[in-house]
Amino acid sequence: MGRDRRFFAGLVGVAAVVTYLIYTGVSDTMVYYLTPSELLARAAASPETMEQGVKVSGMLVPGSHVHSTEELLHTFAVEDPNDASVLLNVEFRHPLPDTFDDSGELEVEVVMQGRYLAGGVFQATEVLTKCGSRYEAMPEPPQPANAEAGDGGMIG
Amino acid sequence: MIPALGEVALWIALPISIWGCVLAFLGGRWSRGDLVLSGERSTFAVTALLSIAALGVVVAFMGDQFQYWYVYNYSSTNLHPYYKFSGLWAGQRGSLLFWGLNLSLFSSLALWMNRSRNRDLMPYVNGVLLAFLAFFISISLFVTPPFEQLGFTPTDGRGLNPQLQNYWMTIHPPTMYLGFTSFTVPFAFAMSALMVGRLDARWIQATRKWILTSWFFLSLAVIFGMRWAYEELGWGGYWFWDPVENASLLPWLVATAFLHSVMIQESTGMLKVWNMGLVVLTFLMTIFATFLTRSGLIESVHSFAQNLTIAWIFLGCLGVTGGVALVLIIWRLPLLSSDRQFESMLSRESAFLLNNLVLLGVAFAVTWGTLFPLITEGLTGSKVSVGPPFFNQVNIPIGLILLALMGIGPVIAWRRASPRNLRRNFLFPCAVFLGILTILFSVGVRHFYALLTFSLGAFVLTVIVVEFWKGTRARARIEEENSFTAFVHLIRRNRRRWGGYIVHVGVVIMFMGFAGTAYDREVRQSMVPGETLTIQSPFGYEYALTYQGLSTTLVPSMRQAIALFTVQKDGVDIGSITTERQLVLAVNPPQPISQVGVRSTLVEDLYLILATVDDAVLLGSNDPQFQRATFQVLVNPLVPWIWYGGLILATGALIGLWPGAGAPTRSARMGSRGGASTGTGAPGVGPNGEASSTDLSTSVSATVG
Repeated sequence: MGRDRRFFAGLVGVAAVVTYLIYTGVSDTMVYYLTPSELLARAAASPETMEQGVKVSGMLVPGSHVHSTEELLHTFAVEDPNDASVLLNVEFRHPLPDTFDDSGELEVEVVMQGRYLAGGVFQATEVLTKCGSRYEAMPEPPQPANAEAGDGGMIG
Repeated sequence: MIPALGEVALWIALPISIWGCVLAFLGGRWSRGDLVLSGERSTFAVTALLSIAALGVVVAFMGDQFQYWYVYNYSSTNLHPYYKFSGLWAGQRGSLLFWGLNLSLFSSLALWMNRSRNRDLMPYVNGVLLAFLAFFISISLFVTPPFEQLGFTPTDGRGLNPQLQNYWMTIHPPTMYLGFTSFTVPFAFAMSALMVGRLDARWIQATRKWILTSWFFLSLAVIFGMRWAYEELGWGGYWFWDPVENASLLPWLVATAFLHSVMIQESTGMLKVWNMGLVVLTFLMTIFATFLTRSGLIESVHSFAQNLTIAWIFLGCLGVTGGVALVLIIWRLPLLSSDRQFESMLSRESAFLLNNLVLLGVAFAVTWGTLFPLITEGLTGSKVSVGPPFFNQVNIPIGLILLALMGIGPVIAWRRASPRNLRRNFLFPCAVFLGILTILFSVGVRHFYALLTFSLGAFVLTVIVVEFWKGTRARARIEEENSFTAFVHLIRRNRRRWGGYIVHVGVVIMFMGFAGTAYDREVRQSMVPGETLTIQSPFGYEYALTYQGLSTTLVPSMRQAIALFTVQKDGVDIGSITTERQLVLAVNPPQPISQVGVRSTLVEDLYLILATVDDAVLLGSNDPQFQRATFQVLVNPLVPWIWYGGLILATGALIGLWPGAGAPTRSARMGSRGGASTGTGAPGVGPNGEASSTDLSTSVSATVG
């Protein structure tokens, strides 16, 4: 099996390098992925964790989005998916994704990366929105009589 | 009428695919030609039926038949016909049917191409293909039915997500599906070879072009997706290491590994198990990608709604397919032994093997990073995630190794490189490497990875250019042709080899484009008309953008706020640029969309985003007091190189794919077993009269070794 020895040496070598890179990569860049409740609880329990980078996901509070044209600053609030009483105020200084919609017509989940600041505001550096319902689901509630009438009216 | 017919066709396709699958396997097992033939006819029938079904969906879209759930959710009366047509693959329900259609077309093509070849393998190939067809048809019938009706007819549909109303987005998904589905054919051949026990080079020869085809589509799909993100998502980037982007990259990485390692098998008869494993793994990765994309289990910008049924189905498919393949490989291990042994670490085999390990390393790291939140949640209960910094930190160093190998692999000798081979092929490129490194360093390039990318890129390009030059010169001399004719003939005589080199050129240029990110510039500013913003290009000049004002337009389908800028480069007017914010009313609820303004030069993009405008503007106000807006301006150096590189890569792949004399002849391949190969299984001094000096030196050193 001499032929395989070199092969495996190469395999082990590359595997070691990749493992090392993954290990250091994870330890350098990993962030906790929390709900707003978990974030607030963590900050209350150990204030020293406050300025650490974290990823937070919450539901966008309808009507909470405020933006200015004086500076590139968006503020909005997200609530805990499991406990609507827990709110987190967010600041974001980049353009928002197009699917960011606080009209309340859609359930919008916001995934943010950033830091929870001492002032009680989450300063986001990245914002992602998830709202599958924009693309699918919600078959129109059947409104037989009215819909037909509307149709007829249009044609007439 | 036609949609109803389409639904019926889909129902008929299911029993035929299952029955055909059984017939194909039995026909193969019992060597019954009539059963085999029936099995193949089933595939053709299924192809016809799925075409009718897909036609049904298209007709339903074109005819605004909103009584269908799928049409209602993905179209509206005022949608452009082009996007109505592409509605076939715009959402989960249509795209899985479209997947089945593609698979059936490729299956039929494979059967037709092999109607008088590989007859011993074909029954099982067909059986495997029909099994997957039955799988996708079942999903279309029972899980994501495209023909499901609402029970009433709404007056209008909900409209297509405006973000998907983009040219790249209409061609990106089908290209991806073409890549994914066409890979089922090589997988079916691999499984058939295992079942029949014919594990010589034949199944590889039969599938090589299929794999390259699939690779071609996967490459294009990834690039199209990047282009779409860059133009449409409006944050100035093209790659986010999003789970779905990663998922599309995984099969590409493994297929790339295979395309290289298969050359070792063809030239030396080694790595048979490895190659078999790579084909299986690539195919599993296509299923895994589908699982990741469509389950919605992992946070992603791609918003397929979370669908646990689909998640379990594809996970099950992944497990069963992987399990069956593993059992078959283990069963046939004795037939997969190598013909030869590794002789030297300094050889093309080693370089290719290292390339393979490195590509798989990237694939593993990407998989790990993508699944990391799931893994940590499962193990520790708390969710931990990694993002773009992780992927960059891990993959950039590995990518640089890959880049270096791209220069080493093509010219290092097979089996054992002699000092003469090394000197001859690497002295000049290494000098160029050091030269470029010195020049870039002296002009102030200090970013370590960027510096290495450009210098290594120059190294690889030099190796390739020298190869082309040597080949052309040798051919011009021997055939007494002028240089241009010789160059064209050179490529024509061995399309696979020279096409491969052109692909490498494309990849190098793309890598340099990626490295440009290290020098991105960004300015964010609130402005009123008349104000000027300046931004420095890393190439030294200065852009001055003067805000001319915001105009609003109201059309029935949308409200637009368009900001106009005039641009000066180092004080010289170079024209104007607009950036928009739209509120698309044709979807329910209305959706804001940003249309970025991009001004491309050969070396960089000026990228302008209208970040916020006063709400009154989108309500139609042209009042001067609402003219203030905020902008983000980016200078993205070398981004255009990514698209140019992609174009070169696609050209190279097409050259390799072109039917005809490009593929080495059978006798040539036999001859190449001696070791005098040029790198892709073609003879160094072959019947084609192609004999570059490298080839000669390679064959000399190989013989000496």
